[in-house]
Amino acid sequence: MSGKVSILEALGFRKASGVGEAGWGRTLAAAIISFIYFLPVLFIIFTAIKPQDVALSVPPTLSPTSLFGLIPDQFVFTPTLENFGSVFERSMTVGGAPEPTGFDRYFFNSIVIASSSVLLALVIGTLAAFGFSRYPLKGNDTYLFIILTTRMLPAIVVIIPVILMFRAVGLSGSYTGIILLYTAFNLAFTIWMMKSFFDELSLDVEDAARIDGSSDVRVFFKIALPQVIAGLAATFVFGLILTWNEFLFALLLSGPDTRTVPVAMNQAVSSGGRGTDWTLLAAIETLFLIPVFLVTFFLQNHLLRGVTFGTVKR
Amino acid sequence: MSTIEIRKLTKQFGAFTAVRDADLKVDAGEVVCLLGPSGCGKTTTLRMIAGLERATEGDIIIAGQRMNELTPQKRDIAMVFQFYALYPALSVGQNIGMPLHYEGLSKADADARVMKVAKILHLDEVLDRMPGQVSEGEKQRIAVARAIVRDPNCFLFDEPLSRLDVELRHSMRGQIKEVLQGLSKATVIVTHDQLEALTMANRIAIMKDGVIEQVGTPHDVFAKPANVFVASFIGTPQMNLVEADLRSFGDGMASVVLAGQEVALGVDPAVSRLKPSKVTVGIRPRAFTVSQDKARDTIEAQAELIEPMGAETLIHARTGLGSDIRVVVPREKRVKVGEAMHLRPDPRQTHVFGEDGRAVRA
Amino acid sequence: MNAPTATASPPPLTRIAPDNWKLAILVGVLVSLVAVLAAPAAVSFWIVGAMAALIAAAFAINAYRRKYYGGLLVAPAIAVLFVMNIFPLLWSLGLSFFAYQSNQQSIRFVGLANYVKVLTSELTATANWLALINTAIFVIFTVAAQMIVGFLLAMLFAKQFPLRKYLLILVLTPMMLSVVASGVFFTYYYDPTFGILSYVVNSLTGEQFVLMSTKLGAVTGIVFADAWMWSPFVMLLVLAGLVSVPKYLYEAAAIDRVSKWRQFWTITFPYIRGLLMLALLFRTIEAFKLADLVILLTKGGNDTMTISYHLIRIANEQNKTSEGAAISYIMLFMVIVLTNLYLYLANRRSQGA
Repeated sequence: MSGKVSILEALGFRKASGVGEAGWGRTLAAAIISFIYFLPVLFIIFTAIKPQDVALSVPPTLSPTSLFGLIPDQFVFTPTLENFGSVFERSMTVGGAPEPTGFDRYFFNSIVIASSSVLLALVIGTLAAFGFSRYPLKGNDTYLFIILTTRMLPAIVVIIPVILMFRAVGLSGSYTGIILLYTAFNLAFTIWMMKSFFDELSLDVEDAARIDGSSDVRVFFKIALPQVIAGLAATFVFGLILTWNEFLFALLLSGPDTRTVPVAMNQAVSSGGRGTDWTLLAAIETLFLIPVFLVTFFLQNHLLRGVTFGTVKR
Repeated sequence: MSTIEIRKLTKQFGAFTAVRDADLKVDAGEVVCLLGPSGCGKTTTLRMIAGLERATEGDIIIAGQRMNELTPQKRDIAMVFQFYALYPALSVGQNIGMPLHYEGLSKADADARVMKVAKILHLDEVLDRMPGQVSEGEKQRIAVARAIVRDPNCFLFDEPLSRLDVELRHSMRGQIKEVLQGLSKATVIVTHDQLEALTMANRIAIMKDGVIEQVGTPHDVFAKPANVFVASFIGTPQMNLVEADLRSFGDGMASVVLAGQEVALGVDPAVSRLKPSKVTVGIRPRAFTVSQDKARDTIEAQAELIEPMGAETLIHARTGLGSDIRVVVPREKRVKVGEAMHLRPDPRQTHVFGEDGRAVRA
Repeated sequence: MNAPTATASPPPLTRIAPDNWKLAILVGVLVSLVAVLAAPAAVSFWIVGAMAALIAAAFAINAYRRKYYGGLLVAPAIAVLFVMNIFPLLWSLGLSFFAYQSNQQSIRFVGLANYVKVLTSELTATANWLALINTAIFVIFTVAAQMIVGFLLAMLFAKQFPLRKYLLILVLTPMMLSVVASGVFFTYYYDPTFGILSYVVNSLTGEQFVLMSTKLGAVTGIVFADAWMWSPFVMLLVLAGLVSVPKYLYEAAAIDRVSKWRQFWTITFPYIRGLLMLALLFRTIEAFKLADLVILLTKGGNDTMTISYHLIRIANEQNKTSEGAAISYIMLFMVIVLTNLYLYLANRRSQGA
């Protein structure tokens, strides 16, 4: 019998069973397509470890290694970690002494602003979602639609009055202002997503807990919340990706002390009149990508379950 | 010819062996039930026959042709799934007609075929409804209708009645049996319900831990269980299985020490081949007669718990050494708790299992 | 039952009580309106804030007294949304009826003049209409490209296969990039002298390739970059739909010998229709906001100015605040019409099925 098993199968390469599962053939196809899709990102990451003088060379340098002679020498560069250093400290004038660039501060700002606004939205939004799901108000659906509309609105419609409002009350350039704004921006999304998760839970369990004498608060924290961890994780990832890279609000509303990385990155590459500093930009972006990449990767399993929100229910 | 045969069929999931060396042959017009506790590999076997799982080793032969490498589409089979697998976006009529698209029938012909099976299964009233709008019993019949709407090589049923309530299950058993009898196809039904297997099958294959323990007619598996597992699995209340020391054999009677008592039991003549050894004696609860007096061929026990079951009464009796023996007596036979009982087993229904667990039988 | 049992009917509108939220709303809205119209911005903001707090407090007390947890739970969210979203919206709606520039102090009521001006004035309307047409072009092409690419990627990843998790994260990465970096790097990829695209074309044809010099090229370049970044978003949504299809349906279809094509339309599509619509909705809304990539790639040159970018210029660089507000509202109106059209079509289709 074993004679009928092909060599590939013997090596652990299963053939597809035909339904629901694909084999290594699909892996190969997906690997090629994913790699091509990832190429522009890979190029940015490689640029971050290029010596500055080859950043704009023609032909373009593509790889830090010749891959055992597969890649012709003209496309190969010698990797360096210098660029990451100059993100935080570099000379601002030609031949000048290195000065701190303030990017440590901007990274700190980005982390504080993005994480606190996403978490704040998660707390407020989850409470509201539980309310909408379990204690429907009169005209519940209308409220929900209005809330969704705030997400539908082009940011640009909100931004002018917000700028004016912040200027008027002295919130422009403060952490409070931008965190509150991002919180509001994440809220609609959070409420809709978490509501769909709460809607799916079985009410019997919660009723049973009430009959056993649990308070409503306890039911929420001990029964409902642990069942929607996946939803919380997915909501967090989505909110984080959107907030982390937000540019327009940050550009118009953050001051020198609260500047986030996207804004600072824009200034760093376009100022000084020397044209774009490619290796520096790539180094900033590579560093900036790491946190959100890691969070997404570790919460990835929740992501697919999480996005089924708002689907047509039967 | 519509037949199914599996030879030395094995399925491994990583290091776990779900099915091992399963052999089974189903003739045209025959209904075979795969019966076993959950996790015994019966569904995996069915899914390998259907082509939904790849066999690790062994052959699957449907209609005389080896089909291991073929996709489900090419095997020309019909299957009823445990959860019915009705296409939620299609109406009942469209669901039933789904397998006909492959045959490229004209719409009129296809509609006629759908109507015909709908009539057989009393679904003609609900053809325009969506699967979400019909009852559980109707869903089940839709799944069956979808299977019999065309003329496949064979039929496969995966726990077809497990989601129905007792009453519906009873009536559906009859309906499915009736439908299958008119079709003369090889049919495999997977179930964990022995009543379902006993009533619907021509033959039953009993599985445990991935191994087929016995294949036989409902009568055979009940009357001549091949081993201790089959004996314990088939029949309610469960067969009494008591460990005993076989002492000697003579005159068709075996002398055994059972629960501390020396008893002469009428057993199969093949027991004479055994040397004195440890055996397991199996006696069904209904195979006892309650004797007035103690005798050499009676087992002594005390009634401990009495459960009236309607026409009969189940008595849990305890021997001096504490073995629990289940006895079923007619309703008229009144027994009181604490009463001493002299139980005489029916020699034709007394089974002896050797040390390896296999039945000792001629 | 989970629904709260109201033990008492809500208080009548006229009674002054800490839990009379109807009265609180009435007072709050009236005072806010007066404050916005009469007081300077710095004062009116705090007045409106106080009113929001008053309404929220009334809700909270009312909810607490009646064990009306719904209101209590929802209140903080409503308060934040009101201050940060709804109030600014109303403010800018009001502003669009005034002549106001943020660098000047004067403000006067002009009625619909701003709307008339941005839609018909010879000086400004042409630019607005051009930007609007460009936005429409970008909406159509970026959304179409994202839907197609995202959908195909989702099909690729729909089945379980070895290493799927690791390959999936590669495809998701473009979505995580900062628009600034990816936009700037796309200018590099498209650069006629140093760029990779130009290098590849050059080595094939021997001629330098300048993508962004024509409108067609510029639009293609922007659409490509945008589609590359946001197709993964569509992919995630579609993929979530695909993996939610019960596996046994495909198994049943395989047994019933249903063709792949028919399987898709009868099993897969009904499951992903809702999420496809959602992806379409979100991406359309986002495409309307397209500004950052245009700023980075063309600065609006080669006739690629979009309405969002145009708006930023008018409102922020030229300080024509109320004119910008008017444009915002015209835009908002269009987005709402479009999204409702989608929803209407989606609902009609799902009811017809």
